[in-house]
Amino acid sequence: MPNVKNWQLGREMSYPYEAKYPSRQFAFVFNINRCIACQTCTMACKSTWTFSKGQEHMWWANVETKPYGGYPQFWDVKILERLEAANPAGQVWSGDVSESPEQPYGQFDGQTIFEAGQKTLSPDSARVLGYLPSDEEWNSPNIYEDNPVGGRGVRDQLHKSGEQLPIHKTWFFYLARICNHCSYPACLAACPRKAIYKRPEDGIVLLDQKECRGYRKCVEACPYKKAMYRGNTRVSEKCIACYPRVEGTDPESDGDPMETRCMASCVGQIRMQGLVKIDSDGSWAEDRQHPLYYLVHVAKVALPLYPQLGTQPNGYYIPPRWVPRPYLRQMFGPGVDRAIERYANPDRELLAVLQLFRRSNKIIFRYEFQEGPKVYERQVGERKVTIYNDTVIAYGREGQELFRTSIEEPVHVRPDVHANSI
Amino acid sequence: MPYDDPEGDDPHELVGVVLPGDETSTREMARAFAEEFVQLGWSRGQILGLFHDPAYTGAHGAREALGAEEIGRIVDEAVHLFGGFHVTVTEPASPTKPTAPNRRSLRVLQ
Repeated sequence: MPNVKNWQLGREMSYPYEAKYPSRQFAFVFNINRCIACQTCTMACKSTWTFSKGQEHMWWANVETKPYGGYPQFWDVKILERLEAANPAGQVWSGDVSESPEQPYGQFDGQTIFEAGQKTLSPDSARVLGYLPSDEEWNSPNIYEDNPVGGRGVRDQLHKSGEQLPIHKTWFFYLARICNHCSYPACLAACPRKAIYKRPEDGIVLLDQKECRGYRKCVEACPYKKAMYRGNTRVSEKCIACYPRVEGTDPESDGDPMETRCMASCVGQIRMQGLVKIDSDGSWAEDRQHPLYYLVHVAKVALPLYPQLGTQPNGYYIPPRWVPRPYLRQMFGPGVDRAIERYANPDRELLAVLQLFRRSNKIIFRYEFQEGPKVYERQVGERKVTIYNDTVIAYGREGQELFRTSIEEPVHVRPDVHANSI
Repeated sequence: MPYDDPEGDDPHELVGVVLPGDETSTREMARAFAEEFVQLGWSRGQILGLFHDPAYTGAHGAREALGAEEIGRIVDEAVHLFGGFHVTVTEPASPTKPTAPNRRSLRVLQ
């Protein structure tokens, strides 16, 4: 297998094909601290792309409750277990997190799904370590994630405090997921028909349904389980990153690149999506004023999901600040502690960039940060909040201004007729 | 919804694992939700509604664990810290559809 550079692992790794990179890459950042699992993104995607017969089990965008949840059930536990079995006690990171773009999270010394596949699978045509989820695992998204099985024989009775079933007594967080449009897609690597391809202009991974014969090798290989088989057409399907919107060819987009349906519908404003510039070696080209570049490579508050799997996913997450660190380190790699420390104590520029989330449905290509005067200060205990009237200005593909934000003191204007009341 | 004993190999049957979950992480979660949503412009009442609604299990679970009074205190603290300013977003007038700049205030005044 050829060797390719995986900057998230801080080293080269083997991959079935020679490296080839797009000029820009579809990427996104989700801020988990804000997600309340309202599932609006899930339904926006469902009602746009997967509402037909044969697609009932398909949720290209889903939100699952961690630690118990998963769609399909146990997807991450199962692939981590297989990797551990292939390389017992060897799935570890070495070195320290650094500011270097070459090894921002140190170096992963374990095996990726491609490397473990080479060592453990036969015949040679099997390229990626994976598994096929059962029908039951696909069929019941979210079941028992929030609630354990309730009392036997108690039918449809509401719990006294409002919920139908008791809740798990542990910490929760909500993991919103779509296809990561990986730089080294496992689905693409596994397809014997070469029906899956990565677009050179935006890195979106698409599946050519005319070429697909429904072998389900992509379903088996994708570690995030975002390639799905459709029984009535006997071919596989996957998230298409709402590419007409991203291209700016969707009628609603007015010619400007627009964020996907799941991003645009986000109630908690946890999502930002963009197109980042890619260098000839596959790493992100320096683009200091790009908001995603800033969050991933400058502030380093946004981290890839299970980077150790080796696909170099292009979805990044600001980890939840309340969850035990060992769990988060397994899920997002060694950069977790630095990310939470910076997110919990943001500087003025990070606060400004966080204001860019969901202020517009158009894709932001550049931002400008302008410092302003101190306007606000409050304190509770030792915690002090100081707000400056900084301005952040977002620009689109053609360099046009999309919007700008500023801070204002609240002003209430009393109506004439009720001059003595508020 | 199963009413009988599950089969041994039922994939829906969760194997019990004790996860480290204590009051500190629950309080931190409640504080994170309160602060994030105050910064988004939600009012005290709206955020308390989020904690009250059993559909939002994380927030609701925190209310069950810590009590309504403690959640009220956490929300009040978040409103005190972050509820006194509002972020204004200004979009430029469209060159194709000439209109006045569109200004949106993101905070409901307390």
